[in-house]
Amino acid sequence: MYELFKNLGAWLVGSEQWTGPDGIAHRLAEHLQYSLLATLIAAAIGLPLGLLIGHTGKGAFVAINLASFGRALPTVGLVVLVFLAGGLSMLPVYVALVALAVPAIVTNTYAGMTAVDPDVKDAARGQGMRGHQVLLQVELPLALPLIMTGLRLALIQVVATATIAAYVSFGGLGRYVFDGLAQRDLVQVLGGAVLVAVVAVILDLALSGLQRFLFRHRTA
Amino acid sequence: MNRRTLLGALAGAAVTVPALSACSSGITSLEGDSSAGSGGGSSKGGITIGTANFTENQVLGYLYAAVLDAAGVKVNVRPNLGTREILIPALKGGDIDLLPEYQGALLHYVAPKATATEEGEMQNALAIALPAGLQVLPYGMAEDSDAFVVTRETAEKYGLTSLADLKKQNGKLVIGAAPEVKKREVGAVGLKEVYGVEFKEFKSLDSSGPLVKGALKKGDVDVANLFTTDTDIQANDWVVLTDPKNLIPGQHVVPLIADRKADSTVRKALARLGNTLSTAQLTELNRLVDKDKKDPEDVANAYAKEHGLVAQ
Amino acid sequence: MTIDWSWIGDHTDDLTTLTLSHLQAALTAVFLGVLISLPLAVVAHRVRPLRGFLLGLSNVLFTIPSIAIFVLLLPVSGLTRTTTVVGLTVYTLVVLLRNTVEGLDSVPVKAKEAAKAMGTRPLRTLLTVEFPLALPVIMAGVRIATVMSISLVSVATYIGDGGLGQLFTDGFQRNFPTPVIVGVVLTLLLAVVADALLVALQYVLTPWRRRQA
Repeated sequence: MYELFKNLGAWLVGSEQWTGPDGIAHRLAEHLQYSLLATLIAAAIGLPLGLLIGHTGKGAFVAINLASFGRALPTVGLVVLVFLAGGLSMLPVYVALVALAVPAIVTNTYAGMTAVDPDVKDAARGQGMRGHQVLLQVELPLALPLIMTGLRLALIQVVATATIAAYVSFGGLGRYVFDGLAQRDLVQVLGGAVLVAVVAVILDLALSGLQRFLFRHRTA
Repeated sequence: MNRRTLLGALAGAAVTVPALSACSSGITSLEGDSSAGSGGGSSKGGITIGTANFTENQVLGYLYAAVLDAAGVKVNVRPNLGTREILIPALKGGDIDLLPEYQGALLHYVAPKATATEEGEMQNALAIALPAGLQVLPYGMAEDSDAFVVTRETAEKYGLTSLADLKKQNGKLVIGAAPEVKKREVGAVGLKEVYGVEFKEFKSLDSSGPLVKGALKKGDVDVANLFTTDTDIQANDWVVLTDPKNLIPGQHVVPLIADRKADSTVRKALARLGNTLSTAQLTELNRLVDKDKKDPEDVANAYAKEHGLVAQ
Repeated sequence: MTIDWSWIGDHTDDLTTLTLSHLQAALTAVFLGVLISLPLAVVAHRVRPLRGFLLGLSNVLFTIPSIAIFVLLLPVSGLTRTTTVVGLTVYTLVVLLRNTVEGLDSVPVKAKEAAKAMGTRPLRTLLTVEFPLALPVIMAGVRIATVMSISLVSVATYIGDGGLGQLFTDGFQRNFPTPVIVGVVLTLLLAVVADALLVALQYVLTPWRRRQA
């Protein structure tokens, strides 16, 4: 074990490790691209859906159950299925990552919306606010902490799972994990895993920083 | 379902669940538990056959299983375990006992600088180079070599007929192969050492599977590492680059087995299979699995029956 | 993409074996996860300084790709079921630990004080007051961990295990959609059935909540 970590150090700092198409810099950029794009697409689908369900109270049962269904979808199976249906492209990877991220975003957005005090909503309506105004000016700001939790959770899962891109010939940090498995080069596998974890933790810290920035006006 | 039966069912599940095998001996341990030399093993306790992550190796694994079963040995096949790099440690560690291998490729795995090219020499070299506890049985007639393949179009465009021609395009071409080929002697390493070939990029794909063939078709890679028993080479009119400097050794199918399981029953059964199965037949069996979507197990059993290797 | 129905008919035995193997791996992992997370959660709940450390550590484990965990276990447990189960257990711990700690946090102080006033010993309070009251939150964690575990088993196909996941690699290598579709559907079915059974189990285990409802 000690040997493994010692070699990991050498692997991470070796200069030849960082350049070229299989270099860490390039793989890192690819991994970030896959993860951020997938999370953005998932947010574009999940946020409006969660807000709508939370605001109208309609379809909650269906949405929550679909979300837990989504959690059960095996990523490997989904990637292979879309690959067999549509051929080799990044599409299978994005479909699987988005399917993974949407449930976390929808359920947390919905939970945030239902946690808003009904009295507050009534008061807003009493002041003559329209439906969309209540949604955007009252409910959304109050639900934001939980919405951000959902986004952070989704992003962490996507970063860890984007490894799968390497299974269908693409890049990202998963390249080190899959190549290391095929070559039984555990240092490479560990290196890939550590880099993925570091990316996930840094992105999570960045989002939590953003969250604190958004709420800087609040005292509590 | 009333409450009691439901609880009973769940409790039952909970009880069966921890029946976790404590038998994992681990890859790193165990090396010298077999009586040294050959012939000291026994297949009485049954044999676990491991196979690599491509079609042909599974066909071979099930063929081994069919003939061993007919010889009265209890067999268990574990398909699709991974690459040679994963399988051989597993064989040493005791997770599997027997593995369909390929002579030259195996030799270069255990002795990267081996120079033997003739079958008999390679067999001797293997006997010396294999780690303690492992041995190869006599090799079979069937042969499946690694091949470096280009499309007809690419061959004409760059004037490629042999591996030596690739050097003229150094730094321009992209090669696609399974990830382990990047570090293998019969792969990127040997191509550089023997032919002085350097590629623009090595793309990690799969072992003569959908990724590498798809990439060659699409033009994402210029050179692809395929197996000579892959019928797609002919079907697509791809060009196999010749190997004037004999980088690629002969690749007769050879059983690699742990000493502890190698007894005369196993030897006899596998030798008979080896002397029956031809390259053309093996190629056809691969096609049945890949193209006709037959099970490797069914294909293997049918072959064994048809050729009198098992009782009708 | 067409489904080859006759393939399914010809492979009911194989599919049953794979499904059971899949379920066994997932449930063993959750079972072990619960066994490990309960005492850890009690420690995290009682000893404040350890709380952040334990929860933080489990969060970091969650960011490591599951395939990497399986591969890194190879030198220890080889190509065995143990590797699959240990890898999955690591993942269940994240959800189970967090939910169990939150469940214990949610127990009203008054309930604990009442037990103390009646002279109940701490361990007995834990078993007869705190765990039962925390059960809904703990069970929510068990449900998520179970569904997640069932979905993750298939990743172990890369180390030659993986239950229904073997259908994915097989279909992929042979350009054959039928096994892949069947594998996805069976995985979803397993998750739905397991989840429903856990809901039923929770209903049975918390009779006092039924009267409230």
